[in-house]
Amino acid sequence: MLLATASPLMFFEIATPRRDSSGPAASMSNSEPSTPTGDDQGREQARLVAAMARGEKSALSALYDSLSRPLYSLAYRVVNDSAEAQDIIQEVFLQLWQKAGTYDSSRGSVFGWAATLTRNRSIDRVRMRKRRAELLAESAPDLQPASPSGDLDSSASLWVQEKATAVRSALGQLAPEQQKAIELAFFSGLTQLEIAAKLNEPLGTIKARIRRGLLKLKETLPTRL
Amino acid sequence: MITERQEELAALHAFGLLEGAERTEFESQLATNAELRALVASLAETAALTALSAPQIDPPAALKERIMSAASATVPATDKVAPFPILKFAPWAIAAGLALAATWLGTQNFSLRTENASLRTERQLAETAYKMAKNQLSERSFLAEQMITDLGNKLRKSEDLARLKVTALASLAGNTKEAQVIAVWDPEQQTGLLTMEKLPPINDSQDYQIWVVDPAYKDPVNGGVFHVSADGKIAIPFKPDQPIALPAAFAISLEKKGGVAKAEGTIVLLGK
Repeated sequence: MLLATASPLMFFEIATPRRDSSGPAASMSNSEPSTPTGDDQGREQARLVAAMARGEKSALSALYDSLSRPLYSLAYRVVNDSAEAQDIIQEVFLQLWQKAGTYDSSRGSVFGWAATLTRNRSIDRVRMRKRRAELLAESAPDLQPASPSGDLDSSASLWVQEKATAVRSALGQLAPEQQKAIELAFFSGLTQLEIAAKLNEPLGTIKARIRRGLLKLKETLPTRL
Repeated sequence: MITERQEELAALHAFGLLEGAERTEFESQLATNAELRALVASLAETAALTALSAPQIDPPAALKERIMSAASATVPATDKVAPFPILKFAPWAIAAGLALAATWLGTQNFSLRTENASLRTERQLAETAYKMAKNQLSERSFLAEQMITDLGNKLRKSEDLARLKVTALASLAGNTKEAQVIAVWDPEQQTGLLTMEKLPPINDSQDYQIWVVDPAYKDPVNGGVFHVSADGKIAIPFKPDQPIALPAAFAISLEKKGGVAKAEGTIVLLGK
């Protein structure tokens, strides 16, 4: 599926640094030279944001179609509540709409921007909603790749699903303790100390695991999914 | 060159896990290290991809409509500058500028008045404090002066006393055995004081005459005459006719009325 549907995967071309041609992404790209690349997808996202800055609502609609699913999934993963996740997504897209003029593609991809906004708002919600003690007790991320749900037949869902598969695969290549540290760091909203306490490890060990895990993830994730 | 420590901080920064001193330290490094900034951007993108590991769920269909409707009520910040009819709005802009200037000046005026009143109050308080301090200083100065004067007087008295020559005169005549006579001599003032009790009264044709014996003179120097009352008490100052350098002795003789230039009568009292 990954090789057959190339266009949605190219979104991440701008999100991750380009590696050398030895990776799977290179072979994918070489096998389908006529397929739109990740660079094209990234430029398309940036173009939509630029159009939004000019007040074009159709651009917002198109961007929503592309990003709502992974962003909603992220919000839901953090807050574990559908209504709250919807509120977060609404806030994020309205912020993207209003702040579109400030987007600078040289500072990162549209997806990176939107995902960061979604994660931060989700974590803020969780922190407001729960006391720290509850957070420590309840935020045990599911490290197993979850089964996809929803409408997998739509093209938007398809490309997101394929990218998600690639990310999960990359996470799966990490040592289990690195995986856990990365997941907690991203989804839980815990501090370094809280992560160390939760995993019952020294703080230095946790820092090292996050560093090694993220660097490996950066190397493993194909630049062209 | 990026160190392992910088890599670690960059990774933590990508997950928003840096706090306090670590964050401050890292952000100061970021400001001056382009290579580090590039690494942070790259790791942030990778970290964002972690979002895709969450189970994928489609949002409710109504959400898009809700968002699009909410977006209709707001206007995005535009990145282009709309043409602006300057001339049309120039008078309004000038009026607004004048209004702002007037408001600013009014505010400044009020501020300066307040500041002036405050300074005046401060000055009054300072003056009051100065007067109080001055009064206290004057009082203390007066007291000090008094103390100095008193001490000076005491010292002077002590010096005077030390300077004075005090002599008890002894009776040389049979009728003055009970007489008590003290002569006090102040060499500086060249004056003396005789205090006498139980000195026998004498008839009106006679006087007691005071003599001061000074080796500088061949004869005793006349100190004057006096007459005692019936009770025999008298305190009489005396001043010799000649300057006395060394009062070797004081004497009282009984002389004819008005005294004599050179002692002739009986010496009734003598003291050295």
